[in-house]
Amino acid sequence: MMIRNKVIGTVAVAALVIGCTVSETSGPALAGPDVYGKFPVTLKSYKGSKTNTVAYTGQMARQVLHDSIKKLAGKGDGNANPELKAKMMSYFSSKEKGRAIIAPKSKGKFIIKQTHVDQISKKKNLSGKTYKGTISGMPNNMTGPELIKFWIDKASSAKKGVDAANGYNYPQLISKFMLGAIFYNQAVDNYLDEKMSAKKKPNNKPYKKGKHYTGKEHSWDEAFGYFGMPAHGLTLSPKQLYDIAKRKDKALKYADRNGDGKVDLYREMVFGPAYYAAGADKKGKTTYAKTITKAFLDGRKLITSAKGKKLSDAQRASLLKYAAVIEKNWEQTLAEATFKYAGSCFNDLKKLKKSQSSKNLKKYIKHWGELKGFSLALQTGRKKLGETGARLNRLIGFGPVLMNSSQVVDINSKGQYVKGQSSGVDEYMVHMLKVQKLMVDEFGVKARMKDALSGLGAMVKKLGKGESAEND
Amino acid sequence: MFQPLDWIINEYLPQLLDSFVNPQKRVSLGYLFIALLIAFCWNAWLMKAQSVKGFGKVWESLFSAKIWFSNSAVSDYKLMFINRAIMMLINPAMLSKLAVATFFYFLFLDVFKNTPAILENWPVWTAPVLYTIFLFLFDDFARFFIHRCLHRWPILWAFHKIHHTAETLTPFTVYRTHPVEGVIFSLRATFVQAISISLFVSLFGKNIDLVEIFGVNILLFIFNITGSNLRHSHVSIRYPRFLEFILISPAQHQVHHSIDPKHHDCNYGAAFAIWDYFGNSLQLSKESKNLRFGIIDKYKFNEHTLRGLYLNPFVEVRGILSRLF
Repeated sequence: MMIRNKVIGTVAVAALVIGCTVSETSGPALAGPDVYGKFPVTLKSYKGSKTNTVAYTGQMARQVLHDSIKKLAGKGDGNANPELKAKMMSYFSSKEKGRAIIAPKSKGKFIIKQTHVDQISKKKNLSGKTYKGTISGMPNNMTGPELIKFWIDKASSAKKGVDAANGYNYPQLISKFMLGAIFYNQAVDNYLDEKMSAKKKPNNKPYKKGKHYTGKEHSWDEAFGYFGMPAHGLTLSPKQLYDIAKRKDKALKYADRNGDGKVDLYREMVFGPAYYAAGADKKGKTTYAKTITKAFLDGRKLITSAKGKKLSDAQRASLLKYAAVIEKNWEQTLAEATFKYAGSCFNDLKKLKKSQSSKNLKKYIKHWGELKGFSLALQTGRKKLGETGARLNRLIGFGPVLMNSSQVVDINSKGQYVKGQSSGVDEYMVHMLKVQKLMVDEFGVKARMKDALSGLGAMVKKLGKGESAEND
Repeated sequence: MFQPLDWIINEYLPQLLDSFVNPQKRVSLGYLFIALLIAFCWNAWLMKAQSVKGFGKVWESLFSAKIWFSNSAVSDYKLMFINRAIMMLINPAMLSKLAVATFFYFLFLDVFKNTPAILENWPVWTAPVLYTIFLFLFDDFARFFIHRCLHRWPILWAFHKIHHTAETLTPFTVYRTHPVEGVIFSLRATFVQAISISLFVSLFGKNIDLVEIFGVNILLFIFNITGSNLRHSHVSIRYPRFLEFILISPAQHQVHHSIDPKHHDCNYGAAFAIWDYFGNSLQLSKESKNLRFGIIDKYKFNEHTLRGLYLNPFVEVRGILSRLF
């Protein structure tokens, strides 16, 4: 009897293990309707031999340029370094040939196919696609490109990209700001907005003379590329997407959809915007990554269904509904990240009040860089945030409040920081809570990672519902 | 689309059942059983029961059909079932407790000059103990205050009198409530709990646990296992005189339900009598009172029909408003 039980138990365990393995590996194998491409040529005037109209290589090259700049921004040794600055600038504003991919690179079993930016797309830069409005959350009314150049200059002379005296972590500031000022802005304020109008980039004409895709097809594809999601992203879970972005060994099988043993940065990699959407979704309360990707895919199917004809008003109205879904959810992912890092800063300050160790300070400065970067990114969309933006900028300030209550309050004409005395760490902690509340009130964030007020929610839940009408 | 049958099976019935098993609810079976034991002992002592026959009489006194199946009691049961559904439907539109707590949290931070957690260095045990006591006391005071308003403001009395039309009292009379009152009670609970939580989190800067038994505030648990259900019963348990100045006995609450005008407008408290003492509305219980329950009212209506119970308050309020304006 005991032997029979053991055999049954072993078989059951084996079946469970095999079942799990099969279900894990079956994800990337899914294909077809859930994959972004390929989509056929619909342009009536095209006489060439190309069969697939999907193309967003330029956007993925820019994702790689962003990742590379972030990596370079942390390479400083604490002294002025014109060479490093020039290198960063070459990734930001030049279109030169031969730029190596600094990040993402192969890691362990996670082998990346490309080693140079040109292998994805040539003659691409970031400065030309950076939000040109003034950034009111930083001093001196700098435009988006000016602010990034200012930070690149500072990063090149900061040790590992960190200015501990003023509380700036430049890789984080640059990276998180770019996620809004380039990728979010280009997608929602350009390709999904202006280029979806009736007059611009019509669907019965090529995007550019000689191209095999229509104006609307390519505009939509470019917006998708800025989201940084693999073509088969809809078949992957938030955790799998997260693991791909982290280049974990086990993630190769999720990412490598064509099974060539390598991850193609153009079609198979997860980049910043999609990574943060998936990061919020991992909590299980939101579906930003899936919702955005599905809206992109459905919108693309709709454009393809027009068969190279000009979109009707009804078709364009449907398309704009998909664009609105993308915009709203993308904005929420930026708000979720702002919420998260405000909570992280709150927790860091709590720890710093107990121990002002360099480790604690380093974490606080890193998280503040992420908070500031995302809060500025949030303000680079199509909609102007008005009072919400002003409140956000005032609550966070131009720099973090440090333990001696000092805070950067301005930048002088020589580009040097001017510091002042803030009202203190305690009040700044309350500011962090208010940032979280602002994100809830104005953007309806739901994932609420690092919720500094989660204690309130837990205590409310504990006291139960008041649905019965009991008298006294 | 709203599916009534699914809603009844998946939401209504489980919540109704929860009222009888959840220790946070006054009529949960455990409390009812303890109340029965207390009532049995009390009546046995009063009736000097010593034989099986004597105990049988005690049992009969507790479960008289005249009480449990009176028109008044039957209408209590109906209201319990219907009100539960009404409140479940209204509840999603009610103020979110978390939103109110968050509002007050930031208000308290302003009051405390943006200095969170000024008491965070107090001994660990102080936060839960103070929170538990504060929550119970604040809730009890709020119950007293709202109850007093329900009696003294004519428009509110029009709704609260539904509770007082009960002519026989059973533990389920606690549910003899108009839905408008249900909304008021829900708001009361929302504000009391939200203010308590936000005040203590802003003072101590962290999530605070209640001192509890079976997931219930220990003080509320004690209130419920010491016969809170007998407030609405014909078992007239009295406390020693000094104690009735501090705690409301079941007999004192029965005086509150008395039809006799000299008992009107007294004993509004739920657990503590001190609020009534300071509010000049405390009446002590008296021995062997055969109280009659109910109201004498010029708005005489059929007290125990659902139509009368639900609609008459609105008719009365219309009359009050037309006289005012």
